[in-house]
Amino acid sequence: MNSSWFREIRAVFMKEWQSEMRSQSGLITGLLFSVVTVYTISFAMLNTKIKGTEVAGLLWVALLFSSASSLPRIFLAEEEQGTAELLRLVARPHSVFWGKALFNSLQCVVTGILLSVLYLGFSGKVVTVPWLFAVCLVAGCLSLAGAVTLCGAIASQAINRAVLSAAIAVPLLLPLVSLGVSGMRVSLNDGLMSDGVGAAIGLVGYACATMATGPYIFAAVWKS
Amino acid sequence: MGVATAWSFLVPPAKGFQKPEMARIFLWHFPCPMLAVFLLMFGAWSSLRVFQRVTVKPSFSVSPETDHAMKSLWDLRAIAAMELGYLFCLLTMATGILFSEAEWGAWWSWDPRQTSFLIVLLIYAAYFALRFAYTDSGKKAAFSGAYSLATILPTLFLVFVFPRLPQIKNMSLHPSNSIVGGLIKGEYGQCVCLILALVAILTVYLFKLRVRAGLLEIRQENNDGQFEHLGNGSAPTGVVRPVSLP
Repeated sequence: MNSSWFREIRAVFMKEWQSEMRSQSGLITGLLFSVVTVYTISFAMLNTKIKGTEVAGLLWVALLFSSASSLPRIFLAEEEQGTAELLRLVARPHSVFWGKALFNSLQCVVTGILLSVLYLGFSGKVVTVPWLFAVCLVAGCLSLAGAVTLCGAIASQAINRAVLSAAIAVPLLLPLVSLGVSGMRVSLNDGLMSDGVGAAIGLVGYACATMATGPYIFAAVWKS
Repeated sequence: MGVATAWSFLVPPAKGFQKPEMARIFLWHFPCPMLAVFLLMFGAWSSLRVFQRVTVKPSFSVSPETDHAMKSLWDLRAIAAMELGYLFCLLTMATGILFSEAEWGAWWSWDPRQTSFLIVLLIYAAYFALRFAYTDSGKKAAFSGAYSLATILPTLFLVFVFPRLPQIKNMSLHPSNSIVGGLIKGEYGQCVCLILALVAILTVYLFKLRVRAGLLEIRQENNDGQFEHLGNGSAPTGVVRPVSLP
């Protein structure tokens, strides 16, 4: 990757960063969503002893719906504000995808860490294999961000884009959730280590495949 | 098809089943997921060809009409494959649910295979939801095509990898070594091969019929547009058009 590509990706990323810092809507919404979700789950399971699999499952469901509802916004906002045409003129499609996917990844990882800290704090569960937990969380967030960014771009010009982007993203992300739960439950002392490692490898592979194929599919639709 | 249907009811009841006579549903269940997955992959490949005409081939090598016609043709092939694939997905679920009730005693038993195929069905449904959300035919082809390409990896994972994961495989009641283990033999083997071949031929026929119907529809729309254009709003000679009376 030469310097012109790097410059374009950095420019797109910085544009998203500055937009976010100006409004801080994504950050505040993510924070509020995390606190409310964790509180609701803990409140619903008051005085209930839950196992590692259930903790991992609920954490992934919260992460899935948080990302599917907030991350596609990055493309929908471009279309609504009428800035998409300018972006089409000034940057190459691959740079646009990478810039936006990286920003979404950062947002998703921050939300994931926040959700995990809050949820583990509320449930009182101890992470017995921290490296496995971290790998599952980061690789899962990268995969989520890549897939949801692509779905946001695909639905960005549709009639009911806000609902549709989440509706088309969720079926694609369900295999990811299954792998995420398989890996994370082992890190919470529930299951065999070999299964957890296999799931973590699967998550890393999913993240690589999503990030590798995403720009090509995106490039095909970006100029449509 | 009639002979195959009759034969599927005449094969002897299978051994080792809760309701041996209900094992015959397998003969119709077996071809459905195979064809559904094949058609999903073919739909994705057809979508890729739509993009290839736009992005790979230089625009000066083909005239705009040819390029547009080829794009329309590949898009029609993609939608025909996806529609038939969706039908086979529904048939897979229906026959699977019947078998589940007969063999495992519940219509829905959260078997990993049942669950993973339900997600494939949701992916198909999302494809159609996306397609209906666009009105422009070019965008419809491009955006739904992109989605069908994005679904390849999750679909392959759900159909071929997920049910065979060690921790999942042990939970599943669904057999996964029927073909590799050579468990389908004798009259059952012959009958299932005949049904698979006949259903595949019928699918090819329906696919071609759907593509032809789509092409006729496009031609009809083009003709209507030409009449509007040539006649400057009024009908050309020899064409009777409805008029509004005062």
